[in-house]
Amino acid sequence: MNWRRHIARIRALFRRQKLADEIDEEVRIHLEMEEQENRERGMSPEEARYAALRRFDNVTQTQETSRETWAWQWLETFLQDVRYGLRQLRRNPGFTAVAVLTLALGIGANTAIFSVVNAVLLRPLPYQQPQRLVFINSIQVPAGMGREASYPDFLDWQARNHVFKMMAVFRTENFALIGTGEPQHLSGAVVSANLFPLLGVSAVLGRTFQPGDDVPGAVNGTNALILSYGFWQQRFGSDPRVIGDGINLDGRPFTVVGVAPPGFQFPIQSGPIDVWTTIAIDKGSAADGVATQRGAHYLDVIARLKAGVTIGRAQVEMSAIVSAMNREHPDIHPRGARIVPMIDGLVGPARVALLILLSAVGCVLLIACVNVANLLLARAATRQREMSIRNALGASRSRVVRQVLTESTLLSLLGGLLGLWLGLRGVGLLIRVTPVDIPRLAQVRLDGHVLIFTAAVSLLTGMLFGLAPALISFKSDVAESLKEAGRGPTSGPHRAKTHGVLVVVEIGAATVLLFGAGLLIQSFLKLMQVNPGFDSVHVLSLRVNSPGAYSQAQQLIFFDQVIDRVRSLPGVLAASGVFGLPFSDIEADTGFDIEGRPVAKANRPETNFEAVAPDYFKTLGIPLLRGRDFNERDDLQSTPVAIINETLARQFFPGENPIGQRIKPGISIGYGSRDPMREIVGVVGDVKVQDLAAGPQPQCYVPLQQSPLGVMSLVVRVQGSPLELVPAVRSVVASTSNQAPIYNIKTLAQLLAQSVAQPRFVTLLLGIFAALAVILAATGLYGVISYSVAQRTHEIGIRMALGAEKVDVLKMVLGQGLKLALIGVAIGIAGALALTRFLASLLYGVKPTDPLTFIAVSLILIVVALLACYIPARRAANVDPMVALRYE
Amino acid sequence: MAKQSSRDRIELVYGSLDMLILRTLLWGPTHGHGIAKSIERVSEEMFKVEHGSLYPALQRLQQEGWITAEWGVSEKNQRAKYYRLTAAGRRQLAAETSRWERFVRAVTSVMRPAEPEEET
Repeated sequence: MNWRRHIARIRALFRRQKLADEIDEEVRIHLEMEEQENRERGMSPEEARYAALRRFDNVTQTQETSRETWAWQWLETFLQDVRYGLRQLRRNPGFTAVAVLTLALGIGANTAIFSVVNAVLLRPLPYQQPQRLVFINSIQVPAGMGREASYPDFLDWQARNHVFKMMAVFRTENFALIGTGEPQHLSGAVVSANLFPLLGVSAVLGRTFQPGDDVPGAVNGTNALILSYGFWQQRFGSDPRVIGDGINLDGRPFTVVGVAPPGFQFPIQSGPIDVWTTIAIDKGSAADGVATQRGAHYLDVIARLKAGVTIGRAQVEMSAIVSAMNREHPDIHPRGARIVPMIDGLVGPARVALLILLSAVGCVLLIACVNVANLLLARAATRQREMSIRNALGASRSRVVRQVLTESTLLSLLGGLLGLWLGLRGVGLLIRVTPVDIPRLAQVRLDGHVLIFTAAVSLLTGMLFGLAPALISFKSDVAESLKEAGRGPTSGPHRAKTHGVLVVVEIGAATVLLFGAGLLIQSFLKLMQVNPGFDSVHVLSLRVNSPGAYSQAQQLIFFDQVIDRVRSLPGVLAASGVFGLPFSDIEADTGFDIEGRPVAKANRPETNFEAVAPDYFKTLGIPLLRGRDFNERDDLQSTPVAIINETLARQFFPGENPIGQRIKPGISIGYGSRDPMREIVGVVGDVKVQDLAAGPQPQCYVPLQQSPLGVMSLVVRVQGSPLELVPAVRSVVASTSNQAPIYNIKTLAQLLAQSVAQPRFVTLLLGIFAALAVILAATGLYGVISYSVAQRTHEIGIRMALGAEKVDVLKMVLGQGLKLALIGVAIGIAGALALTRFLASLLYGVKPTDPLTFIAVSLILIVVALLACYIPARRAANVDPMVALRYE
Repeated sequence: MAKQSSRDRIELVYGSLDMLILRTLLWGPTHGHGIAKSIERVSEEMFKVEHGSLYPALQRLQQEGWITAEWGVSEKNQRAKYYRLTAAGRRQLAAETSRWERFVRAVTSVMRPAEPEEET
């Protein structure tokens, strides 16, 4: 085709109507001439006219083909098909509404989950070359647990490796902004000075940290501070003069050196970070600064791989470095290093759940497609005549198939549009109602990827569910169906079989989903039944920091006073304080020695560690099994004491009375650098620390008054609603010190619920999708059986005329539906057996092949199937034979 | 499409209709009906032009720039669209003619190898 023709066509595109009119006119004139000629030859007027028409073969087609030469045929045909399709859809509003809604549900569910997957798993991290960023986890050997490294270890890693361009440490910290009025709680991060260059982020105002900032007092004798953009806006009204200003955090002076760019977040976590400062604050002035202790594993390590270095090579080198270090420090529990791509480290745990949800919505969409295919198939039957006539009038078969596919694609695009809206609304709602801590979840939004995904899914579904009816139209025999045309819609055995197969497919898919949901629901219920070891109802918890300038002694007095004053508040049944509250974000573990059983330091057993004030066990309802609780006399001047849990007692003192035995947990704060040997004074019940699904672990409690750790969770058991007490507690703390912020205000029940938020999220979603799948499958079955009953009205009439009872007809129709349902369920269960093992990692207390779930799911589906068939079956049973026979 | 099954008539070889139209227009502008009649008449009713295929062909030839069309009045005082050969059309016809002649010679020599060459 040369350029001249293209130009002609483009021009023709704009005067399409005129061209068409001219061609029609020309053909009309031609026919007139021919007719006239025929008359002159002696034909009757009518004969002349028909002869002329016959010579033309097919007037409309000629007009169309003539017109088509002027256009890109596909475009013309396409526009025509679209117009025709839209007209068809408008003419059947009921059908269109049902189909579009079904598709919107299916596509909407997919859009929702994909937008989550996109935001959480797929979207690149907002740093320079994020694919080269890795976390280096310092793990215990051989258990493989743990993540944080100590600062001295980090310095060695940094100095010895040749595979990383840069390596940095970070941790989060809570600060109190001391100014006028009540101290404001700030979320902060403590980082090594090279973190910002490592991420490739520079300041919008001032500067980021410089290498020297890692030294205490580097900036005007204070430590450097970077403000987040949001905090700078909100607290300082975006005033650029803030650079160089002094800021008081926790009673310590900092100097603002820069403002981070808007939207910058590090570390990636659920809430925003307000300020960043350097590791200098951990070095302290004394020699016992936490950053100086090789055994203090409390920092996360991030690194940037050098160009061309693979994770594997970096891992080999790090393993070698860590082995060498283990040999050099025999007194330290041996560690390993594990390199994890940053994105995996952040979202790894959520990945399985999200991929399972994505497959689940895929199933829902498949069912939706099958439903719409069934609808189209039923409609194709009633449109058989139309198709045959189009065929007879000279439409090529491919043209008819294209027409059908265009219609189904239109449907799916409409469904996709509605689904996009539904999905984004749905996911927004979901995130708001289920507070689940999946990193980056808050960043779910409509972007190009979601749009492309939804568009692709829509088009694909259009093809998928349009194909069956299109192929059926393709197969249609013109003469045959025109002959049958007088008898109304017909259903050959072929079509009935197609319907049946489709229904079996959707019931099978619904079975798989329902089975998965059933397992998760059971697992979730089991998890909820787990006794955490304490009574979480009516308990308020909130975090209090002691003012930063306080000495250890002042700190202990401050905490003691706060607890005492809270105890005397009206409505308070019991109050205490704890460092390391279960299900909070503080968890401390330590190795310990038992008196008289010396082991190499590296082989010491590990225990969970909490420092608690008197009445802690009473406040949380943890049973005291033996011995006594801590009291006011257990302080730094008296004998160091400890209380252990049942598991520690059973594991390390089997058949002995642990009371009076002495252990030495490796936490020395309050006693200089020497770990004190502590006398066991009591045994309490086991408590779950972070994870309801975890087994019991050794736990060791020491008096808060013997461990000045600077931070405490206040726990208060109240008569009424815990949160109502917050203002009173706030004023108690404020009246005790005006430099102590309180934050993380949660009831224990909320903390507990938060710990199961992710299983709840996944279970809820999979439950919703399974319900959707079952409803759609039931609708599909209902539709097919109704259709078949309508088709067989005549036959049923004959049966009844020949003596069949209503019950027989009822049984026959129900049997037909049941047969499909049973095949579907059988296939579904086979599929479920193959697939549910992928669920295994999400299950607690339930096997992926739980027979009870199999039975329950099968029963539910069979009952639903029978219900879906009952209405059409009753309709069939009520057929009046006389009416049915006359129907023809 | 219904089959044309008139006894002695020959179906047009695909693509040859364009050439016949151009050839017909060499005698002067005429309208679609006239072209059809002329082809039938000159071929002594051997070719039966399917009127249905005539008009798409006319559109095609216009696009190639080989013919132009304008509305006129027929001998019987009817409004009709008259087609006229362009210079490019003449060149095309010449090319088609020589190609056709080569084709016929080739076919003839295959079908009747013994007899001397002859133009039809």
